[in-house]
Amino acid sequence: MTDNYIPILIMIGIALALALVLMILSRILGPHRPNVHKLRPYESGMDPIGQARDRYSVSFYMVAMEFIVFDLEVVFIYPWAVRFTEFGTGTFVSMMVFITVLLIGLVYTLKKGTLDWNIKTSHS
Amino acid sequence: MGIESAFGEGFLTTKIDTVVNWARANAMWPMPMGLACCAIEMMAFAGPKYDASRFGSEVMRFSPRQSDLMIVAGWCTYKMSHAVRRIWDQMPDPKWCIAMGACASTGGMHRSYGVVQGVDNFLPVDAYVSGCPPRPEVVLHALMTIQEKVKKEHSVLLDV
Amino acid sequence: MQVPDKFNPVTAAIQALDPSGQVQISVTRGDVQLLVPRTIIIDVLRTLKDDFGFTYLIDIVATDRFTSEDRFEVIWNIISLKDQSRIFVKTRVPEEDPSLPSTVDIWPAANWNEREAYDMMGIRFTGHPDLRRLFLPEDFEYFPLRKEFPLMGVPGSIPLPSTSPDVD
Repeated sequence: MTDNYIPILIMIGIALALALVLMILSRILGPHRPNVHKLRPYESGMDPIGQARDRYSVSFYMVAMEFIVFDLEVVFIYPWAVRFTEFGTGTFVSMMVFITVLLIGLVYTLKKGTLDWNIKTSHS
Repeated sequence: MGIESAFGEGFLTTKIDTVVNWARANAMWPMPMGLACCAIEMMAFAGPKYDASRFGSEVMRFSPRQSDLMIVAGWCTYKMSHAVRRIWDQMPDPKWCIAMGACASTGGMHRSYGVVQGVDNFLPVDAYVSGCPPRPEVVLHALMTIQEKVKKEHSVLLDV
Repeated sequence: MQVPDKFNPVTAAIQALDPSGQVQISVTRGDVQLLVPRTIIIDVLRTLKDDFGFTYLIDIVATDRFTSEDRFEVIWNIISLKDQSRIFVKTRVPEEDPSLPSTVDIWPAANWNEREAYDMMGIRFTGHPDLRRLFLPEDFEYFPLRKEFPLMGVPGSIPLPSTSPDVD
């Protein structure tokens, strides 16, 4: 049973090795000429004005949050969907219950209008 | 350090140079410093007819942190020269510079108190392109010149 | 060339504003030009805008005549969209006291044009909300479009960035 996981182990090994080789090569072969401006933030050649942290619309957070929730739902559905014809009715029903619970959540959030981008145009 | 002694003038260095310079020359991402009318010809240089991306300049990176070639296209006033120099300082090494057009090379038609008479007064320029504005093929030729310069004159020994 | 008839009420009103009779009206290549003394310039411009409909300020130009008297000349280029007519109003300013009242209250568009006249010639506009240099750095010490300023500038008057990155 563990034989199935050896390709994954090899893949992890190659990825790690590649990342390390690239970083080490860059450190050895690349130029190192640090100057104070390379560490400062870029603001079109001028000195930076103000803070980097501004207030953003809350809609961004809503979209990101809901993406995470439904993406994880999809992650759970994928392995089931690959072989669902082999499983019995019980698995099917429990999966449907899972999807229905999240569907109710989706309907609720759509009706609440959390994904609407209410852009108020203020003409003063 | 052991690295310097391993990187003396020898077989290993030239082989590494060949590979690294080939990679750097064929993936030269420009930072367009389009200050004036030469910027239009630079856009043509990047457009489909005189395609710069077939030479490796796949993207015009408008961020200095992600580019290695600055193309100064257009005249640079004294006021703007500080911003251009700051952006040049923010670019990571190794970096090269093309002065595109008559104004960036020598001040061009603007013989005036307010225009820097050539950006080489404050930037280390590698290739000058004459023309007002230069045709996009000439800018491609400048890019090819810089590629030759990288392949022949640049070496890992300069950097370790 | 004669002043076109449609300008007759304008010229009559302007001459009424000036008791000393120093207003000069001329026509050059089809354009009517008024040369008015500095003391009544604001009244003249306000009259033109309010009573005769010259509501659109095209440009304010300052020139250096390089004469010992009344060295600078400031020209307002204004048009009346309703009547489709243009008039140039000029006034002369001496070098010892290069100041004029600002016309920003009359036409808000005069803001940057007056800043440019200050930047290039050194003519101060009293009452301007934000009179500072427009093109050159704030600490530049000369007025470049005056005739005595050399073409290539004064060496060292405007700084270049340093050629090594460690110096700020």
